[in-house]
Amino acid sequence: MPPAPVIVVRGVTKSFASTTSARPRRSAAGAGPVQALADVTVTIGDHEFVSILGPSGCGKSTLIRIVAGLTGYDSGEVTVNGSPMVGPVPEVGVVFQTSNLLPWLTVQDNLMLGARLRRMSATETAARLAALLQSLGLGGFEQRYPHELSGGMRQRVALGQALALDPAVLLMDEPFAALDALTRDRLNVELLRLWQARRQTALLVTHSILEAVFLSDRVLVMSPRPGTIAHERVIDLPRPRDPEHTRRDPRFQEHVNELAKLMGVF
Amino acid sequence: MRRVLGPVLFFSAIAAVWEFGVAWFDVPRYLLPPLSRVASAAWETRDEIVSNAVVTAGEVLGGFLLATFVGVGLGALIHASALARRTLYPLVTAFNGMPKIALAPLLVVWFGYGFTSKVVASFVFAAFPIVVATVGGLAATPFVLDEHFRALGATTWDTFWRLRLPAALPSITDGLRIGMPLAVIGATVGEFVGAERGLGYLILFATTQARIDLVFAGILAVTLLSVGFSWMVERASRAVWWRAYS
Repeated sequence: MPPAPVIVVRGVTKSFASTTSARPRRSAAGAGPVQALADVTVTIGDHEFVSILGPSGCGKSTLIRIVAGLTGYDSGEVTVNGSPMVGPVPEVGVVFQTSNLLPWLTVQDNLMLGARLRRMSATETAARLAALLQSLGLGGFEQRYPHELSGGMRQRVALGQALALDPAVLLMDEPFAALDALTRDRLNVELLRLWQARRQTALLVTHSILEAVFLSDRVLVMSPRPGTIAHERVIDLPRPRDPEHTRRDPRFQEHVNELAKLMGVF
Repeated sequence: MRRVLGPVLFFSAIAAVWEFGVAWFDVPRYLLPPLSRVASAAWETRDEIVSNAVVTAGEVLGGFLLATFVGVGLGALIHASALARRTLYPLVTAFNGMPKIALAPLLVVWFGYGFTSKVVASFVFAAFPIVVATVGGLAATPFVLDEHFRALGATTWDTFWRLRLPAALPSITDGLRIGMPLAVIGATVGEFVGAERGLGYLILFATTQARIDLVFAGILAVTLLSVGFSWMVERASRAVWWRAYS
């Protein structure tokens, strides 16, 4: 029996009015509305990890922002745990492309920002903070400011910000895109470890096929704009996974190759 | 030591050009006295200069603080309300376009000869750049941070206090730095129009007595006051250290 659906996106379309009044009009071609998403349907089950791959500009980020309740849509239906998304909710944590840390807050205060904004009790947040610092390898950096950290460290804090509220659903919009390959690999392993401990229902938008295969139960491939789900591939690699065994599994390479073909890499 | 050497030489050179240039070109004393004459006049009337400077400093401080609170408050209101942006902002802009010096006599009529009219004059001169800097700073909140706050479920109030205001502080402190010397000019103008005390009054009085040396001493005192206050604002604005990291 498939797991109960947690995230349901049904027939969602979304267009942007492309010209804003502040921007000079360049050509008539750019004037009309741009359709970002066309009839997107995605269902993600409880504790499932799903990744979305797609070419730049296909609307992946728009889709994740719709699921996060950060932007509206033209038609269709989006529900999380059965209730329609009309705005951000605490049980959904979001990690963005660039680490959105506040430069004037320390690592500790940045990690606790969500809890403060959600008016959570101090004792509860203190206990969670200690655990987070530990599991993210940020111990000893509590009192540092974001500009004193490396890009990888900053992204760890950003991940921690989302995890601080212990969300049941984790949405990630190319969280490691700005990092070098080595740091990215390391953070993939960290993310896998953290996720295997809590098994949040996860949706990851990424450009990296390797990342998608390594982490996911299922990979969706989006078409170019207007974006829609073009392909779906179930990643039948056993869990729990780890970098040693998972990447050496012959099926790993097969999934990577097939997805590369679906994406038109070769 | 080397850091001090440059400025000392530079300002000594200016002082020397003044002192000896006046003698060399035979400039009459009632037009431009030598620097040494100004210095001795300042020394002889030091008690008067200091007591008048204290009065002006009080007016500047009052006007500047008023301009800070009202300026930031108006800026925040203009940022938050589309109605205020369409009504108050043009009004403030038009008000700033008026020759504020022409307003000074009116202020004396309305608020009297004393402290209050000078504080108001100082405020009128200093407020506009603070309003503009606040509006600009609040509008420049990075979109990604704004969205992040929404994702975290922040209220409008929290977003203002925890995100927009801190993000706007570098810009607001720029506005304060521009506003500070304007506050000094405002207070001095107020004293010019009608006062019994203050450095502006002292300068005007010395002019009527043809004490040009004392006029210059008064101008130097106002300048020092302005530089001193600006330095304090500069020091205070260093608390906004995240300017470079926003």
